[in-house]
Formats: sequence, C-alpha cells, structure tokens
Amino acid sequence: MIGLVIVSHSAKLAEGVRELAAQMAGEEVGISQAGGLPDDAQALGTDAFKILSAIEEVWCEDGVLLLMDVGSSVMSAEIALEMLPEQQRRKCKLSNAPLVEGAIVAALHASLGEPLQSVNAVAEAALSTPKLANTG
Amino acid sequence: MENRPSHTFPQKESLEEHERRSQSGESGNARPCPSDSQPAPANNSHQPAQSVVVTITDPRGLHLRSGRDVVRTASQFQARITAANLSRNSSAVDIKSILQLVQLQARQGHELQLAASGPDAEAAIEALRSLF
Repeated sequence: MIGLVIVSHSAKLAEGVRELAAQMAGEEVGISQAGGLPDDAQALGTDAFKILSAIEEVWCEDGVLLLMDVGSSVMSAEIALEMLPEQQRRKCKLSNAPLVEGAIVAALHASLGEPLQSVNAVAEAALSTPKLANTG
Repeated sequence: MENRPSHTFPQKESLEEHERRSQSGESGNARPCPSDSQPAPANNSHQPAQSVVVTITDPRGLHLRSGRDVVRTASQFQARITAANLSRNSSAVDIKSILQLVQLQARQGHELQLAASGPDAEAAIEALRSLF
C-alpha cells in the first residue's frame, strides 16, 4: 500500500488536507504532511527538508505519492526527492493532481491497494473532472 | 415505461420489476432482458445489465464519506457501474470515481438510478442498494 505526502505553503492547509485524506483512506494508508517553514510554523512557505522528513515518515516499498499546492511547493518537493537515495527516489512520484481533489482521490484509491502509477492516474484525472458537471 | 432522457444505460427496468417478472414466470416478450436492444457491452458479459432506482435518505445527502463507501463497494466488482441523478436529470457517471459520484450533487430525497453491466452486475447492484 503506497504512502502519501501532502505539501502546502500553509501548515494549516496541509493539516486540513491530510485530515480529509485520512477520512477517505481509513487507518491503513500512511499520510504525512509538510506545510509551512521549519523555523516558524505560521510562516507560509515550503521547505525541502520538511518534505524529506514527511517522505521518510510514510516511506514504504510500494512507493510514495507527493501532492503539492502550487508554485514552489513543486520545486521544494523536487529538491526533497534529489536528497533521497536513488533506490527510494525511483519509488516516489510528484503528482500533477490538484491538491484537495487529488488527495481525496489518492487516499481512497491507495486504501484499495492500487499501485503508485494507478493511484496517481486517478488523482490526476481530477484535473478534468469539474465540480458542477452533470447537473441541470 | 416513462420516457426519461437517454443515459448510458437505456434500459429502465428496475430490479424489483425484473425480480417480479422472474418470479411470476412472465416473459414479457420473446426477449428475456431489456438490454438486448442495446449493443453488447465490450466485455463478454453473460448477465444482462442491471438497474435499480434508490432514494437518498441521509439528511446531508450523498456526501464525501458516504460516497467513499459507495466507491469502495463498487470497486469490489468487475462490472461497469454508473449512477444518474434522476432528480437533477443528470447524465450517468462512473461510481468507481469519487469525484464523479459527488458530481451528482445528490440531496436527501433525490433518486439515483444505479446501473451495472458485466459478469457480476447483479451482485454489484445488490451490494450497492443496501448503502442507500
């Protein structure tokens, strides 16, 4: 079963998204968060070392999917992956999914035991799933 | 049968109706199942498509957590399973997708038409209807 890392500029947002994802996943899926700057939890920003710790917290052989909010979240997550040993890095994936929808979908499908690439694929499908479609 | 807008599954026979006819030995017409009138599904299903209408009873409607349970149950079956919100006249969505399921915006009292096709379609519908 894969692990999930929630990356956000805001510690509160990361915590909230993690809470939502945990609700969808149940107990079995490891979900960690990396939000805000290390020295001041209230300061907005992302930190590669914090992300690295979050990856290690939920590390498993099935792989780890990282979900980011916007902008430098992605760069910090890339730097965190570069700090990992090659063997671990190969099993980590940065998702292109939107943070909230992606985390909800990824958590649910991770809990169904789906592999990393499949979980990411359904999470990224959130990009083309509008909220208001199909209602008339 | 009332004429509702076309969905992915054109057959409208409810499971109750299907069971009633099976039990009473009625054949209706020469064709044993209404899905004969549509093209065969892509898989080699031996079961006709199944369909049932359920009503949302939860005062908060079909929300994320109840949706999660629907997706979990649906994912246990090979059948292709869709739902359409009849009360909103929506088209059918894949209920193995939580984001599509919540697109139905189903409030308390809304009627959803669940439809399944595939080898385990009947079992899927039975398992799902108990969740509403």
